[in-house]
Amino acid sequence: MQDFIWLVPLLPLLGVIINTIRGTLAVRQRHTAAHVGDHGHADHGHHDHHNAARIPGWIASAMVIGAFVLTLATFFSLLGQPARTAAGENGRFFDVTYWSWMAVGNFSVPFGFLIDQLSIVMMLLVTGVGSLIHIYAIGYMSHDQRPTRFFVYLNLFIVAMLMLVMGNNFLMLFLGWEGVGLCSFLLIGFWFEQRDPPWASTKAFVVNRIGDFGLLMAMFAIWTLTRDVQGNPLHSLMFREVLAEQHVQTLQFTQTAFLGSQYTAAGAIALMLLLGVTGKSAQIPLFVWLPDAMAGPTPVSALIHAATMVTAGVYLIIRTHAIFQLSPSVMNFAAGLGAATAFVAATIAIGQYDIKKVLAFSTVSQLGYMVAAVAMGGYVAGLFHLLTHGIFKALLFLGSGAVIHGFGDEQDMRKMGGLKSKMPRTFWTYLIGTLALAGIFPLAGFWSKDEIIGYAYDNDHRLLAVVLIISSMLTAFYMARQVTMVFLGEQRDTSIHAHESAPIMIWPLILLAIGAVVAGLINLPGLHSLETWLAPVLNEPVAEPAEFHLGLAGLTLVLALASGWLGYYYYSRNARRIKANERDPLYRWGGDFYTILEDKWGFDSAYDLAIVKPYKAIAGFANRIFDARIIDGIVNGAGWVVNQASRGLRVLQSGYVRSYALMFLIGVIAVLGYFVLR
Amino acid sequence: MNFTNDFGFPILSVVVLLPSVGALILAALRGKRDLARLFALGWSVLVFAASIPLLVSFNRASADMQFHEFVNWIPAWGVQYRLALDGISLWLVMLTTFMTPLAIWSAWNVEENLPAFMMLILLQETGMLGVFVAQDLFLFYVFWEFTLIPMYFLIGMWGGKRRRYATIKFFLYTFAASVFMLVGIIVLGLLNYRYLSTNGGNTNEAFNLQSLMLNLPNFGLSALSLKLLFLAFFVAFAVKVPLWPVHTWLPDAHVEAPTAGSVILAAVLLKMGAYGMIRFNVQLFPQVASEWARPIAVLAVIGIIYGAVLAFAQTDIKKLVAYSSVSHMGFIVLGIFALNPVGLGGSVLQMVNHGLSTGALFLLVGMIYERKHTRELAAYGGLWRVVPIFVFFLLFATMSSVGLPGLNGFVGEFTVMLGAFNSKLGWTITAVAAVGVILAAVYLLKMFQGVASGPLNERLNGDLLDLTRREVAILLPIFAVSLLIGLYSPYFFRAMEPSVQALSAFVSNAAPLLAGR
Repeated sequence: MQDFIWLVPLLPLLGVIINTIRGTLAVRQRHTAAHVGDHGHADHGHHDHHNAARIPGWIASAMVIGAFVLTLATFFSLLGQPARTAAGENGRFFDVTYWSWMAVGNFSVPFGFLIDQLSIVMMLLVTGVGSLIHIYAIGYMSHDQRPTRFFVYLNLFIVAMLMLVMGNNFLMLFLGWEGVGLCSFLLIGFWFEQRDPPWASTKAFVVNRIGDFGLLMAMFAIWTLTRDVQGNPLHSLMFREVLAEQHVQTLQFTQTAFLGSQYTAAGAIALMLLLGVTGKSAQIPLFVWLPDAMAGPTPVSALIHAATMVTAGVYLIIRTHAIFQLSPSVMNFAAGLGAATAFVAATIAIGQYDIKKVLAFSTVSQLGYMVAAVAMGGYVAGLFHLLTHGIFKALLFLGSGAVIHGFGDEQDMRKMGGLKSKMPRTFWTYLIGTLALAGIFPLAGFWSKDEIIGYAYDNDHRLLAVVLIISSMLTAFYMARQVTMVFLGEQRDTSIHAHESAPIMIWPLILLAIGAVVAGLINLPGLHSLETWLAPVLNEPVAEPAEFHLGLAGLTLVLALASGWLGYYYYSRNARRIKANERDPLYRWGGDFYTILEDKWGFDSAYDLAIVKPYKAIAGFANRIFDARIIDGIVNGAGWVVNQASRGLRVLQSGYVRSYALMFLIGVIAVLGYFVLR
Repeated sequence: MNFTNDFGFPILSVVVLLPSVGALILAALRGKRDLARLFALGWSVLVFAASIPLLVSFNRASADMQFHEFVNWIPAWGVQYRLALDGISLWLVMLTTFMTPLAIWSAWNVEENLPAFMMLILLQETGMLGVFVAQDLFLFYVFWEFTLIPMYFLIGMWGGKRRRYATIKFFLYTFAASVFMLVGIIVLGLLNYRYLSTNGGNTNEAFNLQSLMLNLPNFGLSALSLKLLFLAFFVAFAVKVPLWPVHTWLPDAHVEAPTAGSVILAAVLLKMGAYGMIRFNVQLFPQVASEWARPIAVLAVIGIIYGAVLAFAQTDIKKLVAYSSVSHMGFIVLGIFALNPVGLGGSVLQMVNHGLSTGALFLLVGMIYERKHTRELAAYGGLWRVVPIFVFFLLFATMSSVGLPGLNGFVGEFTVMLGAFNSKLGWTITAVAAVGVILAAVYLLKMFQGVASGPLNERLNGDLLDLTRREVAILLPIFAVSLLIGLYSPYFFRAMEPSVQALSAFVSNAAPLLAGR
């Protein structure tokens, strides 16, 4: 497979090209025809149109399915190789370089891929879940005006995401990193005619750029400071060179002072990488873009803003764990950040009424779990949760999409209710996703979440373990609240005709639901398949699986069940108090605390006040006053003085150009005179 | 004329002077609008074709000046007509011959006196090409000042409402700054003349750059004299770049200039300043450059941030792009004064990148202006629906300018910042520059979204027509090259590599400044 691995990203790229050409030709044709309706989901019922609209979706899906099959083949070929070479090194990887991407002076970086245990797992997730979401999107976007463009973006996203996880150096990762950012930008703003999506997409791009700043600085520092065993600069960004143990060690010995404290280069780099992680993986304080990103079509939320792209930060930490491990303080900080994010976002999820916003904050919260896990050193636990979450959160988002789709494009849960009978298949799959997310035995989330909590408990992060357990109670609560508000009781807004979605959307739900049930198998206590699989790439001599604590797991489960029941009970009892445009029944109990949750802990308004408004004010001042009056004022003043002076001379007629020609002449004569007479 | 190349004719002179010949022929086509524009386009393509042999037969292993051509011009002063190029000039020459036909083609619908318009652009091309290949300081100055004249008329005659103010400001600013350079050139030439005559050298080469590089350390100049001479050149180049705080001529000139003028101005004219810094400030005064690298880099990063903030404040699209140039040119100056091969190489490539992406942005702004006669951001919005092809290209240019990896802008910005990080400028200055990367996203997306997204004003823009075949054909070559640089930059770096290596070594081996005379 080594020789054909380039086909994996090439197939979706081909999809991009084919659909772009098709779309461009269609635009040319439409120029002669009349324009169609205005909004995304305008014209129902034109079957010819729908069938034509499905073609780009099928092309795009076929490409991603093809990529998935190839990835699977690669996986099995890696599996066929011995895990360790005779020398005890990793035996299951290949590193291919295609061409020199950048090279100047002593800097050179190739375009190449590193396929190892870590990247292949990510590739399986991206192409596997990606395939299902592509197929689902055929149905979801069939009423849309621009399905071709949608699938071009979606395929392009798969290409970029594959670059991110397949790259064999930091810059390849960054290529994918910014590439997914672009696709995310395009897809969030897909319905560009509306008010919110353009703003949300800009916000996502800019906030991510703040994280990218960290990644850029980290790359500069890594390239400049890493040394070889002789102590000479290594000047490389290749993963297998820079992150090799003997080289990465040298980052400990350089010190930097910043704001009065001393950092080792490793610590500073880890901190910068962490900034990148907080951007992409939506951690405090940069998580604010992700909830707004829900303005994009729901398959996008499932693929990009739940299953794959947002987990890139977790992947980055695992990939560069050799650097993080050199700086325990940064790791502890990151773990605290992750746990705090898990908690804060889980509380906010309780205060949301939009079905997708609940899931968005849930995603932020679960990303917090992953970051906390990998930052404690539980790389396998983190990746395990990344994978299971990728499956069940994709399921939940697609399920919410089916609800929105079948409920007249309405997203306000206060108008829903009783949809269980109207869309039973959506309900049952959604319920499975919910149970998996809430960590209920024996679904996938139970195993992966428990492994994180167990890892925290074992490794003297007791406080974090407590925070994570509380967050998992909150998770069960807000999911129970959501399921109750959406599916149970009576439909509150009866003006909307609710219906089940088409089979093309239901089948991916069913497959993902099966995944959400069984995905725990990949790293069951006692088996630890994932642990064993990843051990060589994590430089661990032997797999050291986290112990399974029956008591801890039982406690977490009971607490989750209890708070889930509480959520169900409370919102069933108070079902008649839930009204559109009125506040949640919980407001009666929570009061102002509940307002804080609704207000997302004030992050957005704080940024608006502390950054956005001052920046606008400064820019306005600089434009109107500083540049126009002060800098230009000096210039114009100088011009005026010269002009007056030349007028005074009255040697030539006045006028700027002439006076300057005069000045020019005088200057030349003066200089020549100086050198002649000296 | 003496020349050293395998072509059998002085190819550089031909490339440099060919556009002027075309301008002369155009003078005969007065009044014949269609013929004139066809001729101008064909002729500029011919110039581009004539420049391709330079690229092909350029010796990529050599750091030396190649394709020497010279003839004594004013022997009494030691002035020669002398052309040659190295890997740094090569790409700027190629950028010039590449962008000029596109600028000409974009001016297809100029209404007033089109032949004269085309004539001026071709004359402008000669001036710019001359700047990049002149090896005699006097000749360089002649070309340098010559570039002012066509641009002066382009803005002054085909410009917008405030063109009079803009042209005067443009002329005044750059001319005044150039006077300092002229002083510097004359001083250097006279000193070299004296040195050569007392040491039995060839006084014909008194103004020759190579000769000066060789002899300048032996003039026995004090540190102060060297610094003053450095400043004399630096002021002229800083205004042209433009470096903060001498940038205020640029937004006015851009806003008033006709599209083709803006394209030439942004794509090539500004590069003359950065090129001059490399060629004269660094090459002639390596010690001063090295000593002043930090303060200059500080000005450069101030420009990066300042330009980005100002760009964000604009409501006029063209002015926004103009201020973005201030920001982007800051990266170029930063890379130069990193004084290592990575920074210098990145800087030269970034000159090409900025020429392509900002050139494309000005072209696109011009195309939409031609349709609606307004550049106010507020007049647009939602164009994605009516003119998707236009928006596609706008997105491409925006992303190239924003520095998206895989496109050209990223390669230049990354190498510039990497070079700066790894130089004695250190990480703080680099970090500030990298903040500029964030801010670039802020102002460029403000522009892009303002044009492409949001509700469409049906009454104003409902009948907007998408790009014509001609317009697509203008933009496509730019994007092809952008992608090529973005994904395969070594092709571009390789030619300049020996030159930047040699330059960097020259700087680090330069003798320290004398304490006093």
